[in-house]
Amino acid sequence: MRRIGDSAIAAVTAVALCSGVWLLLDSAGTEAPPQPSAAQARTGTGQAAQAPAAPALPPSPPDRVRIPAIGVDAPMTGLGLTPSGSLEVPPAEKENLAGWYEAGTTPGETGTAIVAGHVDNTEGPAVFYRLGALEKGSVVEVDRRDGGVAVFTVDAVEVYAAKDFPDEKVYGAADRPELRVITCGGDYSRGTGYQGNVVVFAHLTGSR
Amino acid sequence: MRRTARLLTGTVLAVAAAGLASPAPAYAGDARATGGLEVSPSSVVPGERATVRTAACGEDGAAAGDASAVGAGEFPLAPGAREGETTGGFQVPPSAQPGTYEIVATCGGSGKRVTGDLVVTLTAAREQVYPRGSVKTGVGGALGPDPVQTAAGVAALAVAAAGGTWLLHRRARGDGI
Repeated sequence: MRRIGDSAIAAVTAVALCSGVWLLLDSAGTEAPPQPSAAQARTGTGQAAQAPAAPALPPSPPDRVRIPAIGVDAPMTGLGLTPSGSLEVPPAEKENLAGWYEAGTTPGETGTAIVAGHVDNTEGPAVFYRLGALEKGSVVEVDRRDGGVAVFTVDAVEVYAAKDFPDEKVYGAADRPELRVITCGGDYSRGTGYQGNVVVFAHLTGSR
Repeated sequence: MRRTARLLTGTVLAVAAAGLASPAPAYAGDARATGGLEVSPSSVVPGERATVRTAACGEDGAAAGDASAVGAGEFPLAPGAREGETTGGFQVPPSAQPGTYEIVATCGGSGKRVTGDLVVTLTAAREQVYPRGSVKTGVGGALGPDPVQTAAGVAALAVAAAGGTWLLHRRARGDGI
């Protein structure tokens, strides 16, 4: 009898140990997306230390965006504006899809081109999950419908609160080809979600 | 390749259409439509960019656009973000004169021709519209740890610890086995 009791307890112990470890490891596997550090912020001195800007390309819509440093390689869809004037977002159920602001500047042409994508959806991480881990000097490539590739170099990675969003800085006009890549970020509350956006600032440094 | 060929054909048709001009193009196969091409913004200042879209070219329709009336030449249209829609854009030359210009698009597949009006004014009717505010690009689905799951894991480990302790004690006391 005792033996049977011991075996049962040993078995329960083993099962409890395994499932406990699995539960904890599995839950630790989901964690908050990376957020940019202060070192990646825009500096007051502007464009002094940046890579030289490349000449602007003619307008051509983008087809794909690649950010090798964080493993992004995603097709792109056109985005408009919501009735409140904010940028539309790509359909959330397609986790590997980015979007661009169709009525604005195309990536590579003079002005500010805007690209946005989800950081996550209900299933887990999405296309720009690791955007906040990008650093100055990283490269963002955009495949264009004219067959060319616009190559942008990251100037800064910032996180802005939604309630005090710097529209002009993020969306405003530029006198050289620039790119913004936007996703959700900042503080997170279970009730209202992410409280802001991670914004990558980049400018055109080459093409091929 | 085939798409290029189609595009080229479309372009040739568009050029032919422009050359023949109104009132009536003479060649067959031209399902001449009035309108059908939405030009936005409908009023632009010289140097600004205009976007056109149409649902006339079907599902994955490419099309050849012709904005040579306003001096912007030809431009390609490709399937857009919304299903069944074909979109493209061009820049209105800085030298463009105020007036109303007909913009033409010829579907690559069917050869269907759609037109829309572009109004060029010298003073901006409105500024280019920039998005405002933050974007909603996440719901927290990647976030954790899930408190319920963590609690379950801790509880299971506690059970394992209790069981293990009990077994060790028995063995140390020398009973059993």
